[in-house]
Amino acid sequence: MKFLPFVLKHLKRNWVRTTSTVVAMAVCIFLFCTLQTVLREINAQLESANAARLVTRHAVSLVFSLPLSYGARIQAVPGVKSVANTTWFGGSLPAKKEGKAEGDASTTDWSSFFPNMAVDAEPYFAMYPEFQMPPEQYRDFLGDLQGAAIGKKLADKFGWKVGDRFFLESFIPPYRKSTGPFEFVVRAIFDTDTGKYPGTDTNIMFFHFRYLYESTGRRLNAGTYTVAIDDPNKAGSISKAIDGLFENSDAQTHSETEQAFRAGFIAMAGNLALLLNSIGLAVSFTILLVTANTMSMAVRERRTEIAVLKTLGFPSALVMGLILAEALLLGFLGGGVGVFGSQALMWVIMHSPAKDMLAGVGLSTLAIKPAVGLLGMGVALVLGFAAGFVPALNAYRSKITDMLRTV
Amino acid sequence: MSMVDVQAVRKVYRRDAQEITVLDGIDLQVPEGEFVALMGPSGSGKTTLLNLIAGIDRPSSGKVIVAGTDVAQLSESALAVWRSRNVGFIFQFYNLIPVLSATENVELPLLLTSLGKAERRERALTALKVVGLADRAGHYPRQLSGGQEQRVAIARAIVADPKVLVADEPTGDLDSKSAEEILALLETLNREFKKTIVMVTHDPRAAERAHTQKHLEKGVLKA
Repeated sequence: MKFLPFVLKHLKRNWVRTTSTVVAMAVCIFLFCTLQTVLREINAQLESANAARLVTRHAVSLVFSLPLSYGARIQAVPGVKSVANTTWFGGSLPAKKEGKAEGDASTTDWSSFFPNMAVDAEPYFAMYPEFQMPPEQYRDFLGDLQGAAIGKKLADKFGWKVGDRFFLESFIPPYRKSTGPFEFVVRAIFDTDTGKYPGTDTNIMFFHFRYLYESTGRRLNAGTYTVAIDDPNKAGSISKAIDGLFENSDAQTHSETEQAFRAGFIAMAGNLALLLNSIGLAVSFTILLVTANTMSMAVRERRTEIAVLKTLGFPSALVMGLILAEALLLGFLGGGVGVFGSQALMWVIMHSPAKDMLAGVGLSTLAIKPAVGLLGMGVALVLGFAAGFVPALNAYRSKITDMLRTV
Repeated sequence: MSMVDVQAVRKVYRRDAQEITVLDGIDLQVPEGEFVALMGPSGSGKTTLLNLIAGIDRPSSGKVIVAGTDVAQLSESALAVWRSRNVGFIFQFYNLIPVLSATENVELPLLLTSLGKAERRERALTALKVVGLADRAGHYPRQLSGGQEQRVAIARAIVADPKVLVADEPTGDLDSKSAEEILALLETLNREFKKTIVMVTHDPRAAERAHTQKHLEKGVLKA
């Protein structure tokens, strides 16, 4: 500890260079922590998927729907326990709640977007034990065509209570009705046991597919089917059997596990994990070069001082340690600023209208986990160490007389 | 007993295939409490000999025994410890650490000891008093004149109470008045604190202040 003031004084010596290095390091760790947090949130979404559930969608794209008749045929496949029509509604709270939309002008309030699905409620909730609600509320929800079951996060966000009414309007043309937005009544508020079902998001709403179907002139198909199976180990063969049923139809299907489906949904934005990790790696490597260059310059301009320290009796290992300590301190400062900055960004996002847009794609709780923060600090220290190692080793190896001669 | 005993020392540098003999069979004995001036033209090997005595370089052959230790036999780390306890080095260009105050510069060698912070600070201030700079303790090198910087460097050299002081052209970068003050200070350290001093100098007036003058020419010590 007695050498700490010595190290700090050297860092203060060229404060512009020190500050710029810390900022560079901070940007690197900021990006690292932010990207890792997003990736972990996505992974948590994927991990919350149940292996005993399949999703059957149109083989071409999620954009295309499947005939309603497919539900009963899938139900008949051996190994299938139950089937639920699961249709992405894409509804938003409309700026104008009643009456016809005026022309093509959008009346949608996008700032408070959240996921909402039209489902066959009974089979759907039976296959999702993670969504827990009071039995009487569930009963009321089943008994009301306009009823909505909303997650606790959603209820907290809008201050909705059981009995409250609200309107949603879809951005998908077939799901819009000429008389204006759909009206819903909150009949049930469900929550989850995060210990038992980690990653389950309650920033979501479900309502009866029948309400959507009947309100739009009974012309709709199903977006996807969620299929509960009796044995997760047979997911492959059951998927194959389902898809085999519709092999020669106009609407061929593609069945996969819920996890694969969610991964595919996220992958519509490209290979996100690869992209984010590549960005992180490239930035880290660049910062390593910048910091290494800074440390090399700092050591080079102090060759005489290093020679003096050695002349005074400072062992080479101690001199090397002092330089490494300087580099590690740079890493520590940069890491601290980066982690704090990343957390600050998450906080700002989570307290701005942008959070609703992120919630719409399942990223409803962005916050740096302690493990990510520690990992960020670890990366910063490793970068600092790597940047300082070569200059420190050169200082260790250099002969006093050589260093004094180059003055 | 000699404080410094240099026996048949040769120092050879190799540049590619070429060998350059800088010191060729040097024998030098400096008794304890002596003040010796090493003189000679540039390239004669004065600084190389001083570096060997200070333990910051090693002879190609021969022995360099200082304060009873054959420095060539010590490992790098043992040699560093030995230097911290036995040798005070005074450079021509002072070589103070610019980010440290006068006191902190003087305190540097004491960081290698087990002394507490308060005692280190007290000893550093005492050393600064000895060189007459107690009132400049908090000043940084850039706030001091050349002569004052050199006096701080001398305080740094004596703070750990070494047996031998080696000075490489200590007045080489100073005006005559400051040079006179530094030489007077070295004389005081030699006379009153019984420090053995080996000083390299070009300046005959500086050399006159020493008890003994030794002349080097082309790596050989002249009588």
